[in-house]
Amino acid sequence: MAEQKPLEEIRRIIAPYERVLLLGCGTCMTVCGAGGEREVSFLNSALRVAQAKSSDGIHSFSEYTVKRQCDFEFLDMLVDKVNEVDAILSLGCGIGVQVVAERFPDMPVLPGVNTSFMGMAKEWGVWDERCAACGDCRLAETAGICPITRCTKGILNGPCAGTKNGKCEANKDMDCAWILIYKRLERLQQLDKMRRYYPPRNFRVIPRPRRIVMKADVEPGEDNG
Amino acid sequence: MDNYQASRMREASRGRGLIPPCQVACPLHMEIGEYVDLVAQGKVLEALQVIRDGNPFPSICAYVCTHPCEDACRRSQVDKPIAIRALKRFAVEFGGDRMIQLEAETTQSEKVAVVGSGPAGLACAYYLRKLGYPVTIFEAYSELGGMLRVGIPQYRLPREVVDTEVQRLIHMGVEIKANTRVISLDLLFDMSYKAVFITVGAHQSLRMGIEGEESPGVIDGATFLREVNLGLKPSLGERVAVVGGGNVAMDAARAAVRLGTSKVSILYRRSRAEMPAGPDEIEQALEEGVETMFLVAPTKMKRENGRLSVTCVRMELGEPDAGGRRRPVPIKDSEFNREFDTLITAIGQAPQISEDFRLRLGRGSTIQVDPVTLITNRTGVFAGGDAVTGPATVTQALASGRQAAFRIDDYLRHRYPLADKEAEETLSGELLPETIEMIRKIERLEPPLLSPEARAKEFKSVELIYNWEAAVAEARRCLRCGMGAEILFQDKCATCLTCLRICPYHVPYLDERGTIQIPADQCQACGICVTECPARAIVLRKPYDRRHIDEELEHALKSAAASKSKPLIIGFCCQYGLFGTGALASLWREGKAGIWIVPVLCVANLEEGHVLRAFEMGAEGVFIAGCGEQCSRENTAFWVLQRVERIRRALSQIGLEPERLQTFNLHATEGDTAEALDNFTERIGGLCLASVIRQEVKS
Amino acid sequence: MANSLFKEKLNSDGFLVTTEIGPPKGADVSEMVHHIDLLKDKVDAINITDHQSSVMRFPSLGGCLLVKERGGEPIIQITCRDRNRLALQADLLLAYSRDIKNVLCLTGDSVDVGDHKEAKPVFDLDSVQLLKMAREMESGKDIGGNELKGAPQFCLGASVHPEADFIEPQLIKFEKKVVAGAQFFQTQGIFDLESLRRFMQYASQFNVKILAGIIVLASARMARYMNDNVPGIIVSQAIIDELAGVEKGKGLQKGIEIAARFIKTIREENLCHGVHIMAVGNEGIVPDILEAAQPVSAHR
Repeated sequence: MAEQKPLEEIRRIIAPYERVLLLGCGTCMTVCGAGGEREVSFLNSALRVAQAKSSDGIHSFSEYTVKRQCDFEFLDMLVDKVNEVDAILSLGCGIGVQVVAERFPDMPVLPGVNTSFMGMAKEWGVWDERCAACGDCRLAETAGICPITRCTKGILNGPCAGTKNGKCEANKDMDCAWILIYKRLERLQQLDKMRRYYPPRNFRVIPRPRRIVMKADVEPGEDNG
Repeated sequence: MDNYQASRMREASRGRGLIPPCQVACPLHMEIGEYVDLVAQGKVLEALQVIRDGNPFPSICAYVCTHPCEDACRRSQVDKPIAIRALKRFAVEFGGDRMIQLEAETTQSEKVAVVGSGPAGLACAYYLRKLGYPVTIFEAYSELGGMLRVGIPQYRLPREVVDTEVQRLIHMGVEIKANTRVISLDLLFDMSYKAVFITVGAHQSLRMGIEGEESPGVIDGATFLREVNLGLKPSLGERVAVVGGGNVAMDAARAAVRLGTSKVSILYRRSRAEMPAGPDEIEQALEEGVETMFLVAPTKMKRENGRLSVTCVRMELGEPDAGGRRRPVPIKDSEFNREFDTLITAIGQAPQISEDFRLRLGRGSTIQVDPVTLITNRTGVFAGGDAVTGPATVTQALASGRQAAFRIDDYLRHRYPLADKEAEETLSGELLPETIEMIRKIERLEPPLLSPEARAKEFKSVELIYNWEAAVAEARRCLRCGMGAEILFQDKCATCLTCLRICPYHVPYLDERGTIQIPADQCQACGICVTECPARAIVLRKPYDRRHIDEELEHALKSAAASKSKPLIIGFCCQYGLFGTGALASLWREGKAGIWIVPVLCVANLEEGHVLRAFEMGAEGVFIAGCGEQCSRENTAFWVLQRVERIRRALSQIGLEPERLQTFNLHATEGDTAEALDNFTERIGGLCLASVIRQEVKS
Repeated sequence: MANSLFKEKLNSDGFLVTTEIGPPKGADVSEMVHHIDLLKDKVDAINITDHQSSVMRFPSLGGCLLVKERGGEPIIQITCRDRNRLALQADLLLAYSRDIKNVLCLTGDSVDVGDHKEAKPVFDLDSVQLLKMAREMESGKDIGGNELKGAPQFCLGASVHPEADFIEPQLIKFEKKVVAGAQFFQTQGIFDLESLRRFMQYASQFNVKILAGIIVLASARMARYMNDNVPGIIVSQAIIDELAGVEKGKGLQKGIEIAARFIKTIREENLCHGVHIMAVGNEGIVPDILEAAQPVSAHR
């Protein structure tokens, strides 16, 4: 889930570049309404108005949306376009921006959105954080409610003393995750899971920057076995 | 504007319509959805143009078409069907159909003869003439029109209407030979006609076959109507009986009323449900005081004491016959007598084809033809209309005449006779309950009628015309079948579920493979999902080449730039609501200095990019005028306001005052929209002045 | 290693009285020293709070050192908000080395309620894990599994919230803390003795000492403010009304009266093992409360 950066910030970021390609992403950023084709078009229009209203109009904008920015193969179709611009403003998530930058190392690649969290849509236009990619999922112990994202303090032996009316001390509109967990464990008749002691988290399941390797090291040979 | 993806969308949305059921049901396959929508926009001239594209004589159909389109109209699944015929009449009258002049050139040498000047013959002549052939119509009577002239009474179809059409044909160069009965087809070929179209209609009344049918005071319906239409006033006496249940029977009965008969009774051997006459006709006849006796048939008649004594027997409905209608069976010993002055028979008509034509005839004395080419057993001789089908509707005859013209053209140009290609995809299907629930129920606006008392006095046209407001309101009820949304670029769809969540009619759904489907037969074409789709994967199918908003906008901006009036304000106004609402109508017509209107077909289709483009190209202020809650589609106002908020946020980030973008409600109940617009204009003027001063201070 | 003074008192059957002092927001500790002097002989131990409500202040450890210097018995408050497990273990070693053995283990208020809202919240551990960790250090190992050169000994405490609206999760947590090693508990502010009674019915099965938290309110407005903004505090409407009923200027007096009343009742009915008086910002009035709550007297 991401949000488009404020217009002033984007204008500041692109200020030194004349020809800017606004690059959208057709997958996650489309789904969360931050960087799909529609958003690219809106940004293009808004930037042009801004440029028309101020007198220092040096930019010319082009727009394009690829299916995904996080795989090199999808970026191959940009090879020609890239020659005609001075910078790419990517409306892809943080991954997308970096992959585009890696693919085109001679091109300044700028971020147009603030990638914030992984979450779900409660209804159209309302998104809630649900996953922090901690690498050590414990949803089995907490009845499918993540204490890392939904508890402000991310504690494992909750709740803390700050919960009031089932809401969090830090944000009265947010439910206290541990009260939610308690209620649901009770419903599932699994409250003993809450009575257990949970030791401190392993914050470095794999050292950062993390890497997941799915291919095995094999040597096909002449022999059997 | 480098926006190849937007132009891709535009290209794709042209010519992809699905044929709606009204168009399929129409014998002429007119583009009904299109002209109804144009009436809803107030564009009567364009509506008439669309009508004329599909129909040679719109004014005739506007009066007497039996509207199979209305019977197929899917609006009836919600409440009542759209009053399509009345809307066509509106377009014809207000669009000035009468004034349209037609020209035609002769580009071919082959002469074609049309025998019979009924609707089929007139239509065939019209199309052949447009194709450039020299055409001659032969008509046995002194007046042209066939059933239009001698069959349908004037209160249903005024004679001026038929006259106008005939005059138009003459002006196009069609040769008319009235008072000329064709007795031999060989003669026509001797006269160097290369093709002949026989369309003599079905004017021979069927006989009841009962005793006393020859008695004085018994007339057949066709002859009776002919005399009435020719201006003769046959004397009928005080009490008249009409035997039969079709339109001819109705026409005869109602004509009798207008001739001053005190009591007119219809005798029909089945019940009201089986009557072939149109329900409107029956209704109006009853209003005019016609008595109906159902399940009654005369068995014999006798003239005595200056009256007709008619013996009738009561009937009951038995087993269905070959045609599926229940056969009337006489009830034993239920005879009774009634006395009438005149009895009119109207139990059906058949064509009367001379043996000298040497044409092969079929059931009911109709001419047999090849259904694809309309050719008879004789080379070069075509037939159509009632002469082939038996008594049918005017519109069917027109369609037959049109088909004949094209087949004759094929014949004369030596083209291989192929069956007509399969039509494009048609749309059918029931509306789902959840969709029906969300559609606002609106009463069908019937066109006004002359009061029954006024009607009974003379032969003036019974049906009057809508006024503007009524016509637009009725046209807006159309569900726009086949013009709905489709996911054009399935590869772009990220299945974000936005369209599914925001559709006011709950139309898009996820199929079992997890792909979004937007069923064309449910979509109400509101346009919300098209504009909100984050991947721009959805388009509205539009069968016509309509200018899209960006083209209209560019046009307005160009004109504005040329005129240089200040301050420049662009107004995106709903075309449906703009017309005739009074509030901004004057704006539209007079073109207030500095304000340029961009008409949009429902503001739900207006994108943020359009508004921003206006600002980019120098607009100082922009307003959006929509129909608010009166919009014929649900929730559109909500979405427009969502976009307005976004644009305003962007404006303030750019350093422009958010109030430069304003929304107006064309149907506002409180306050005067025109006055609000004036205030807005003033404020924009003020803002401009302020910014100019700021600039000066800076420098 | 010898028990701390406070630990001795815990083991006896006397009525315990502790209080807390909030450190200054700055380097000038003169007022804090003044309060320490005022209270050190009147109570059994003094807590020094640790960035209470996530407002950055002079650290608890530093305050405890001062208490020690001035001859009082300190209880150090350690929260998990600001330090990871390395820093926590290090601070515990330092505290023990300076004879500060009483540790109140807390999770800590969330960063969002304080005055450095953009800070990174650490929460490497929570209060239960902190208790367990301190106990493990006593057996000579840190929680990385490494041998310690010199194992500390602590008297561990924790907090509990008997007046929470969802009581069962709090009880579950209370039990976890007991199992993890807590020996005494200071509760969140008590405003309704019935809830305390109910809680004690459950808590008395465990071999721990409970000190009821007594908050001194100075006005109805303060009560309402704390209700809305301070985590863990739920002032009952009855108390708010009582405060609202006095004339201006007499609010604090009323607050003292209410506090004393509570302390008296708890003592007389033997509801729990003692009280923990919280008058942060108003530490000077604690002696007055103690006076008013006679015949309660602190052990010397």
